[in-house]
Amino acid sequence: MVSVLKRGLAIITLLIIGYWLAQGLAGVPFGQDKMLVGQYYLDHVKQQTGAVNAVTAIVVNYRGFDTLGEVTVLFIASTGVAALLWGKRRKRTAKTEGSIVLTTGTRLLAPFVMLFGAYIFIHGHLTPGGGFPGGATIATAFLLMYMAFTVYEIPHRAFEKTEGLVGMGYVIVGLIGLAIGGYFLFDWIWQTWGWGHNNIGRLFSGGFIPVIYTIIGIKVGTELSGIIDNMLKEEVSE
Amino acid sequence: MNGQYASLLIALPLLGAFFVPLIKGFGKKAIKTYVLIITAIQTGIAAWVFQQVYSTGKPIIVMAGAWKPPVGINLYIGYFAALFVLIVAVASFLMAVFNFKAVDVEPIDKYAMLFLLLMLGATGMIATGDIFNLFVFMEITAITAYALTAYNKTGEAAEASLKYMILGGIGSSFFLIGVALIYGATGTLNMAQIAQLVGHINPTVAQVGLALIVFGLAVEAELFPLNAWAPDAYQAAPHPVTTMFSAFVVKAGLYAMARLLYLMSSVGTWHNVLKLLVVMATLTVVVAEFSALRQRNVKRMIAYSSISQVGLIALAFALGTQAGVDAGVFQMVNHAIVKVLLFLGVGYVAIQLGGAEIENFRGLGKKMPVTAFGITVGAFAAVGIPLFNIFWSKLRIILATLQAGYTWAAFLVLGASVVEAVYYFRLIHTIWFEGEGERISESAPLVAIVIALVILVIAIGIYPNYLWSISQKAGSDIFNVAQYVKNVPLMPLTGVGA
Repeated sequence: MVSVLKRGLAIITLLIIGYWLAQGLAGVPFGQDKMLVGQYYLDHVKQQTGAVNAVTAIVVNYRGFDTLGEVTVLFIASTGVAALLWGKRRKRTAKTEGSIVLTTGTRLLAPFVMLFGAYIFIHGHLTPGGGFPGGATIATAFLLMYMAFTVYEIPHRAFEKTEGLVGMGYVIVGLIGLAIGGYFLFDWIWQTWGWGHNNIGRLFSGGFIPVIYTIIGIKVGTELSGIIDNMLKEEVSE
Repeated sequence: MNGQYASLLIALPLLGAFFVPLIKGFGKKAIKTYVLIITAIQTGIAAWVFQQVYSTGKPIIVMAGAWKPPVGINLYIGYFAALFVLIVAVASFLMAVFNFKAVDVEPIDKYAMLFLLLMLGATGMIATGDIFNLFVFMEITAITAYALTAYNKTGEAAEASLKYMILGGIGSSFFLIGVALIYGATGTLNMAQIAQLVGHINPTVAQVGLALIVFGLAVEAELFPLNAWAPDAYQAAPHPVTTMFSAFVVKAGLYAMARLLYLMSSVGTWHNVLKLLVVMATLTVVVAEFSALRQRNVKRMIAYSSISQVGLIALAFALGTQAGVDAGVFQMVNHAIVKVLLFLGVGYVAIQLGGAEIENFRGLGKKMPVTAFGITVGAFAAVGIPLFNIFWSKLRIILATLQAGYTWAAFLVLGASVVEAVYYFRLIHTIWFEGEGERISESAPLVAIVIALVILVIAIGIYPNYLWSISQKAGSDIFNVAQYVKNVPLMPLTGVGA
């Protein structure tokens, strides 16, 4: 009886909230041209950032501060998981080995997945994608290894250090901008050095976007792999 | 020096946190010292920024990537942000000293990273001038807070963190929906430009967007129906982290709420949102005070007291008048000082005597006289007794509430203060007039911090004018939106929506 009452109340509340939100949404002029900042980005992206992909130019260059924050959020997630699951001795306790088809398939597939991940983040300024999808793809390769082999483990020490180093790399790229151009996260490669100006649309262009996306790709890849590693291990008594 | 160097306030804690894995091998002591050094440098930078802003009277606008707003993201370090960034840095520095005594649970390197990033998140929330960037920094703050709440790895801590995480997650999603609505209606994310355009958009959209944002921030700002996570989290988190929650994490949420509220003050339905907030804030004060009355755990009791004081600040911000905002800022500063003192004292007692239950406080005046004295001064101040700092800010808030015409709110809040006096005096009685005990030696750095804070509390209590004038400036930074918009060098855009 109580649960029916509860459910009924919940449904009524949700309907009221839904109606209220719909009222709000009805006032937003969708489908009309409402671009204010957006138009500026579209008009100036090539000339100002050297990127063909407007989304990455916004994410890394115009609003790079947000991306730095998002990278930090992911870093916190992986650090937090590691802090909460920390134990003196933790080991993988998986028991069933995968079938030979699975293990051989993984062996063959993993390098290709990694290669493709690297391709995604290196071409962030040209094709859809960028550091986050690229890094996630690389982490998928490690997840495959974890799933197929009962004993596989990533090299933790190296991964942790890489994670820290590339994170510092991002901030340092920003600080170099502060030193050269006078602004934090200033795109010194494009705006001061003018490097790649006659190369728009080719691999070596886009100012510091490819540099930062490589950093983000490595960082996201190592972080997600670290989370997988932490979640898959169990505490064992000594 | 170039004002753009203020971006180091963000860059330094980030760089510091990312560097920790590289020094992981050097042992606990080295890592704690490292955190101490980073927070000390941060305090130095914050002091420089504070001095710059208050001596020139002009805000520092940090433009990330040299993009002028609204195309790029800008940090707006005006009177308010300069003051609070300094408070965040100083509180973190004091807690970095406290870490040496208070935190021994492994893994200490992860703790150091999360600690620095919590400081970063609050700094960013207070400094940013972009509404989506505010969301990003809010997430940084919130997610570090979830992880740090559960850091002690007890069942109680895990439960508290889970509760916080679910509420916080829902709150942030609502906030994000609100941001999306406002972006959809105005076509910009920059706060100054939103303030310019918001008068022209559909009032229903503005009201729904604003209400969603207020609702989302209320989780972080611990307002009544959404603050159930807070006492549990305060009790279960490591002592320095509890102090940081109370000293600045909640303030960052409150400030963000106040800032967005006043930016959108030209919306026709604005006063409805204000009224809702006044009700929520008053309820926060009343409910929290009555819950504190029956607590046996002193840390939890002070957590409830902290929530009630935060409700008072929210009440001041929700009045919609200049006097209210000024008083709210004044109370924010005073509350930060007093709560650092109280949580530091109680945390230290809990470490030395094994727990913050009220039984452990019997005879504390004989066992740890300096700490007991610090807690006593903090308690007097929190109740709002004359000659202590919170007296002045509470008085200002009540006066402002009466001026704004909310007599019932002022009456309820005053009544709640009487309840507050009951449980604080009970604590003081237990400390000084009950039980016996042997003297325990107290750690020198902590004693120094306690004494310094006590002097600060009394100094502000006797001579409040200096801090009051600073608070007025900081308050006008929030209230005077026209000035805020004028200070941000907006790039003229020839879009369709302009």
